[in-house]
Amino acid sequence: MIDFRIDERTRERLADAREWGRSAMRPAGLEADRLSAPLPEGHPYFAKFIERGGGRTRWPGPAGAKRERTSVVETLLLLEELAYWDRGVTVADPGPSLPETNVLAMGTEEQKERYLGPFLAPDRPRWACFAMTEPGAGSDAAAIKTSARKDGDGWILNGAKCFIGGASRADWILVQAVVGGESGRGAQRSFFVERGTPGLGRFKIEKKMGLRAYESTSFTLQDCLIPAANLLGGEERYESSAGFKTAMRTFNAGRPIIAANAVGMGRAALDEALAFARESGLLHRDRVRDRLEAMARKLRMARLVCLRAGWLADRERPNITEASMAKALAAGVAQEATALGMELLGATGARGDHLIEKLYRDVKAMDIVEGTGQVQRVIIARNLVGLPR
Amino acid sequence: MFDLDPGDELALLAETARKLAQEELRPRLREHESAREVAQPVRAAFAQVGLAGLELPAERGGAGLGALARVIVNEELAAADAGAALALDPFGPALYGALQICDGAWLSDLLGALSAPGARAAWIDGGDARISADGTRVDAEVAWYPAARADAVVAFVGDEQLLVCEGIRCQELPGAGLRAAGACALRLESAPIARRAANPSGTERARARARLYAASLLLGVLRDACDFSRGYAQERHAFGRPIAHHQGLAFLITDMQMALDGARLLVHEAAWRVDQHLPCAGAAAAAFAQCIEASRLIGPAGVQILGGHGFMADYPMEKAMRESRALGLWLGGFDAAIEDAGRELCDAPGAALGLA
Repeated sequence: MIDFRIDERTRERLADAREWGRSAMRPAGLEADRLSAPLPEGHPYFAKFIERGGGRTRWPGPAGAKRERTSVVETLLLLEELAYWDRGVTVADPGPSLPETNVLAMGTEEQKERYLGPFLAPDRPRWACFAMTEPGAGSDAAAIKTSARKDGDGWILNGAKCFIGGASRADWILVQAVVGGESGRGAQRSFFVERGTPGLGRFKIEKKMGLRAYESTSFTLQDCLIPAANLLGGEERYESSAGFKTAMRTFNAGRPIIAANAVGMGRAALDEALAFARESGLLHRDRVRDRLEAMARKLRMARLVCLRAGWLADRERPNITEASMAKALAAGVAQEATALGMELLGATGARGDHLIEKLYRDVKAMDIVEGTGQVQRVIIARNLVGLPR
Repeated sequence: MFDLDPGDELALLAETARKLAQEELRPRLREHESAREVAQPVRAAFAQVGLAGLELPAERGGAGLGALARVIVNEELAAADAGAALALDPFGPALYGALQICDGAWLSDLLGALSAPGARAAWIDGGDARISADGTRVDAEVAWYPAARADAVVAFVGDEQLLVCEGIRCQELPGAGLRAAGACALRLESAPIARRAANPSGTERARARARLYAASLLLGVLRDACDFSRGYAQERHAFGRPIAHHQGLAFLITDMQMALDGARLLVHEAAWRVDQHLPCAGAAAAAFAQCIEASRLIGPAGVQILGGHGFMADYPMEKAMRESRALGLWLGGFDAAIEDAGRELCDAPGAALGLA
């Protein structure tokens, strides 16, 4: 039955996230923004995050009991709330993050133990990351060039990756590469590359317009030799186009997450704009109120579109179109919200010290990562009208 | 917890409405528009499948269903012909005036006034009505109402809600859209007030339901515009391929569908709030406003996709453009809706984006 109610457990978790966001995330995000640098690995924020139980894997362990599953809808609501306080900090948070879903879905038991095991009860903040994007292949993930060549009992990786979140501090990177001198989807595989592996290097932490709390890193793989066992899922798991599909599974789960992040950021901008308008005596002006109303309405709509994509995922129904709609819609709406906030601030917005100004810079990335708004429309159009590839 | 599955009952209702719309309304689209009324056999079919009196209490012979049922049925009917959907429902949103007051006498009077075949009730809001000095009569003037006749009027004057069953004058109009419902300029000239009540919270909920009524008709029109123009774009070739495969149109079609889907979710959420007896005024106002905003894109874009054919009455796109614009002007339209939604945002900022 149609039901828009949020259950009690989710409410409690949202309240907890709100308090954590207010007391820890927002200050950490503002600090990183002010210093124009990622939060360092040893920042007390990360230790506190681990202390409160963050940075853990969803993997139950070799003999672990199954944990209560968090639904995608609940996850999206939580990520919306966390991004409200600081989206950059949510990405900087330690944990197995983006590649975890792939490892859980495709990894062998040995791989889960080796790579997710340290995240069961981390002794310190630990990171892992997923490396797909390359200087010449962004949204068109099928065009990556990083190669993996079989060499005896191992693989040799060569290539360059860019804009990878947390790569220089990660215990391991799940690297997407093409095998057999081929290109395209069917040739893609995922490889665990551990920190300190010879050939993995030239880490360059990018300077960014926004979302400064986490590092976006470029690195190279130069004749980087890894054991055969580091191929995600083992050799037999790869048939036809399964490799690419694994990566795209991450993307499909990822789009609603980015959309939820965008809604959270848009909400933050709206609340700040409302507060500013109230304090400045602007709320009685129709033109101000009407524009704020439009933003609230569109954010509400974007949230529902986003939750729809999550709801489909929870039911294991196809959600490719809906996930792309959520991403395309929410990113645009959130940008509008921050831009409106800047306009209301007027010259105050140009000072460079207002939260809305930070959000305005931060939110642009939401229309780029996990496929730009244009790429989302291409995906939607493929499903709606059979737009050729 | 969050669930978008309509469930068996609503799914069956939607299927029933869709079947009737496709079999009875769509084939007579232009016939009903020209006649400015719905043919009697269609009315009979409508009554036979049990869609009349959808929200009337069971003890009054209705199905006693709620707002979600209404918006789902309205969308299905309006996807074939929004004007006919209006013509088939004698109460229209005026019913909510009686239902939200929860006064059996009001409902009895309203039902009595609508007992004749083809009778219609009208809803007046937005400062169009003035109560006379002695408080027993009312004057009002409405430039356009989508009905050929009005046998009862529910009018909102300040915090007061009035029922008028006599002294209603209807002057026939051509109507820009929704012609199957008829169109008139509606006047109350010192019309006697049959009943009156001051119930601000009831009025607020009645207004919310009225907006959802109109919003869901808009959804139907917009859905058909999206579906029809998309189908056309996949069949029509230009420059060696279907026009839908030119990225300019592909993206337009994509944006139309996103606008429709987003608006529908807002309508369903607001209707669900009504049924759950949760605060719903701001959500319904926002949902109606978003449907109107979507219509500004989808109506003209549907015509645009068909090019010259879109401009011609041989295709339903020009009708969709007119109808969607007309629906967006009903019940105070966009400005009144954003006024109410904006007021809620400013008075209670958490409410506008709060989770239920």
